[in-house]
Amino acid sequence: MAEYAHELQVTVEPRGDVAVARITGSVDTITADDLLTTLQTAITGGHIRLVGDFEGVSYTSSAGLRTLLAAMKEARRSGGDLRLASVGERVLKVLELSGFTSILRLYPDVDTAVASYA
Amino acid sequence: MEVLPSVPDAPRRVALVIGSGGVKCAGALGLWRVLAREGIEVDLVVGCSGGSLYAAAMALGLSVEDCEAMTTRLWTREVMARRDTRSILGALFPRLLGFEGDLALVHDGPLMRALTPALGGRSFDETRIPLRIVATDFATGEAVVLSEGSLLDAVRASISVPFVWKPWVIDGRRLVDGCLSAPMPVDVAIREGADVILTMGFEAALPRRINTAVRFAYQVTSIYTNNLYRAAFSFHNLAHHAEIIPVIPELNQHIGLLSTEKIPYCIEQGERAAEEIVPYLHRVLAHTEGARA
Repeated sequence: MAEYAHELQVTVEPRGDVAVARITGSVDTITADDLLTTLQTAITGGHIRLVGDFEGVSYTSSAGLRTLLAAMKEARRSGGDLRLASVGERVLKVLELSGFTSILRLYPDVDTAVASYA
Repeated sequence: MEVLPSVPDAPRRVALVIGSGGVKCAGALGLWRVLAREGIEVDLVVGCSGGSLYAAAMALGLSVEDCEAMTTRLWTREVMARRDTRSILGALFPRLLGFEGDLALVHDGPLMRALTPALGGRSFDETRIPLRIVATDFATGEAVVLSEGSLLDAVRASISVPFVWKPWVIDGRRLVDGCLSAPMPVDVAIREGADVILTMGFEAALPRRINTAVRFAYQVTSIYTNNLYRAAFSFHNLAHHAEIIPVIPELNQHIGLLSTEKIPYCIEQGERAAEEIVPYLHRVLAHTEGARA
């Protein structure tokens, strides 16, 4: 289980016609705006098929969930999607409890998530 | 007693919401211990069903040790030992004996005797922290937020497990288990203006074997309430700006309705789960403080 890390780092790297957003840290009320801005910039820049690499995400709260939903809706409106990979147990519990596992596509690793767009 | 939803009077900065979950709700005591150790004050406590008992005890200012001792004494097999024969026979032979309008398999006399030493004669006015307890109006299905009057009545109403104990009447309203309308009543804390809402609640553990009619009924109820729990929690997370921080103890052991021997385990796991969110909680409190300044 990833330890709580309050700093958020996001890097977006193209993998073919998919963009992988590698997210590290906590997705919460303090970091939500930065994450949303980064994801929105990627989407408006044409990266509408996104994979969120959650291996380094230690925590998510309600503000984080709202950010994920907003980014997912924006990507889908553009004809793409936001899919998550390598979600840790702690974050997965929050996603399950809040019903997000029924609307977001989750994959065990980044490669599988990228391949799901093929 | 006024049983209508209360009107917010002043913002409640930090709220603790303890949802349904029976004995598992003892995990909230572990959370409580961590909050006390960290000097984090709670401005509002909301409880529902099994969580109502712990919420009431915390709001009254009992120590974790006293809460543990109280609930261990309270939740014994004794409270389930006496069948409500009149209710059962009335349901089976309504024309002969008359159906009372309630169906309970267990007589609530032992339950009331168990609750009374802890809560008898105590009222919401005596709580050190504002307290809200949620039950369900059996006639309408609406959630009822109790904030005044007898704590014993409020907790008794909130834990009226369907088919197990009879509904409890407060001010002419027959109230049943709060888990039927609001198994995790985050909305109460939102309505009261909380900035940061800590939640602990549990989906009902499904029976390992369904070999009795009671377990069948319990399974049906649990399916409903578990799905309601997730749907409501999802809505509250998305619909409001308040920061909702779920504290989720890892409970890998089977914990039944009366598994009081597991209370220390639940507390320990609750404490561990709380310790994981403490660093974030400190930061978010500082963040909201900065936003208010």
